[in-house]
Amino acid sequence: MSELLQATWGGVLAGSVYGLMAVGLTLIWGAVRLLNLAHGALYVAGAYAAWTVINVGLPLAVGIPAAVIAAGALGYGMHATIIRPMLGRPGWDSASIIATVGVGIALQAAILLIFGPRVKQLPAVVSGSTVISSVRISYQGLVIVLVAVVSLVALFFYLRSSRQGMAIRAISQHMDAAALMGVPVHRTYALVMIISAGLAGLAGVLLSSVLFLSPTSGFTPMIIALLVTIFGGLGSVKGTIVAAYLIGMLEASVQVYLGGAWALPALFGFIIFMLIVRPSGLFGVPEAQRL
Amino acid sequence: MTTSQSNPPRAVDLIDRAAAPWRSPKWGAVSSLGVLALVLPIVLLRFGAGTFMVHLLITFFLWSVVAQSWNLVLGVSGIYSFAQIALFAVGGWVTGVLSMSYGWNPWLSLALAPIVTTAAALVIGLPSLRLRGVYVVLLTLAFHELLRNYVTNGPRVISGGGYGLIGVPRLDFGPLSSFSHLVPSYYLALFFFAVATFAIWWVFQSPIGVAFAALRDSEGYAIGRGIDQFRIKLFLFGFSAFFTGLAGGLMTHYLGSISQSIFAFSVLINVLAMIVIGGWGSFGGPILGTALLLGLQEGLRDLADFRTLVLGLALASVAVLAPSGLWPKLRDGFRDFLDESPDDEEESDQGRDLLVDTAETSEHGSGAQSVAPD
Repeated sequence: MSELLQATWGGVLAGSVYGLMAVGLTLIWGAVRLLNLAHGALYVAGAYAAWTVINVGLPLAVGIPAAVIAAGALGYGMHATIIRPMLGRPGWDSASIIATVGVGIALQAAILLIFGPRVKQLPAVVSGSTVISSVRISYQGLVIVLVAVVSLVALFFYLRSSRQGMAIRAISQHMDAAALMGVPVHRTYALVMIISAGLAGLAGVLLSSVLFLSPTSGFTPMIIALLVTIFGGLGSVKGTIVAAYLIGMLEASVQVYLGGAWALPALFGFIIFMLIVRPSGLFGVPEAQRL
Repeated sequence: MTTSQSNPPRAVDLIDRAAAPWRSPKWGAVSSLGVLALVLPIVLLRFGAGTFMVHLLITFFLWSVVAQSWNLVLGVSGIYSFAQIALFAVGGWVTGVLSMSYGWNPWLSLALAPIVTTAAALVIGLPSLRLRGVYVVLLTLAFHELLRNYVTNGPRVISGGGYGLIGVPRLDFGPLSSFSHLVPSYYLALFFFAVATFAIWWVFQSPIGVAFAALRDSEGYAIGRGIDQFRIKLFLFGFSAFFTGLAGGLMTHYLGSISQSIFAFSVLINVLAMIVIGGWGSFGGPILGTALLLGLQEGLRDLADFRTLVLGLALASVAVLAPSGLWPKLRDGFRDFLDESPDDEEESDQGRDLLVDTAETSEHGSGAQSVAPD
């Protein structure tokens, strides 16, 4: 029983953070058709921004918005330097992937140069923990889940009801038609990049208060976020959020019942099986229908 | 070939000749390069830094084959596979483990390396090649990570306790190895490079290569014309894995070791940069890129910390500013320079543009019209 509880709590915690990462990826994919392989670097950049702020002597409560702003600014920079000049050119698919890989490495290398290779850890917002039937639940974990869930719910309603959210959805459905209806395409893309990068930064600062932080620590969360995105159905925000919690649960149960080394292989095995059985993911529309 | 005198040339002839340029290769350039490569170590070894230069050339030969085969998958066929380094490692580990721990003759285990690598590639290819773009990225990166995990935490014969394989026996060159290990290794690597490059060049120019380019540029149209994309992608995947695995095996025996650091993301990125900066999807691009990056690596040795930063920025700016890489630009510049004698050569190049280099012609996009002289 306590193992099951342990796995559930671990799954909710991991799923919240993966959700933040993966929703960013899926937003960019849905709107711009860009696979952003710099997402992991944005995660790390956000975490280091928060670390800098905290090192100056400010609390983590200031660090979190700092991380979001720093990552969002980098996202805007990516829009201005990569997406804007390249969009619509032939060979966009491959060139854009390469460009994001390049930005990701450059960003990581810059962070390594500035902060050095030593592993860091962010302090907790609130310390202490409570024990519910032999499962230790830290207050910090509760804060993470709370912040993530609030952000995801806010994003969901923002996309559903606000004017800009509707513009994002219109563009992801049909860019040309949306442009003809007067949706400012480039401004909306910039917005998508800022939101997505900001979410990555948020995930970075939240997860780095639990795990350790190093310039390369963004890689695994990015791979898992990619996995979540594909599981949920590329381009579907709702599917991604559901998938994030399912994947988080799966990872946590494998860790609890089989051991930590099996987590990643099990996830990959699961997703390969998933791709064979249902290639469009949980909530995804099959490729042919979307076109 | 008899109609080459007719004026103006018929488009069909141009296409025929461009589709089979191995019938009329530029023997002058190829043979002079070959002679240079044969003589080079003998000259270099007379100088102080010669040993290091020869070592660098061997490295160049082996890595350029990896870059070329990856380019076949990534650039020519548009499969976003990131499993190439993992396949390189498969080749290295197979021959390393067999010759070191099981006492196989290195030549025998080396011969097995590309076969096992090809089999591994087919195993990854079967699930992932039915999918497109993003999914392939995920599955191949997954393979990379899983393999890294396995060779780090796997049985001691394979992981070497986490340090990899150290003390892999070198290849036995018989009577040749009596005077130096370096020189026979050089000629072996050169031979391998020549064979692999020729095979890749042949695939590039053959109808198979044209089918790859067609699949990449307009999948629907290519399938409509009856190209079986799954089979052709699987063939390409296996073909490129064969040479990659052999390169991995040769590297392992040459260096006498292979370690888990081969799986570092920076290695993957380095080879990717060779392809992208040299020229994505073109034949000469990866070779040029390998030479450039290896040269840069030595040149920027003092700037070691900034190297990755520079590399990342270079990757991004090439992707944004010159997506087809340096090779097409260089080649066009060279062609313009030789433009005073627009004879046979020029015509066949036009035909080749029409057939193969569709990625590049989209830039100076009039390849198709320029070969319609009636």
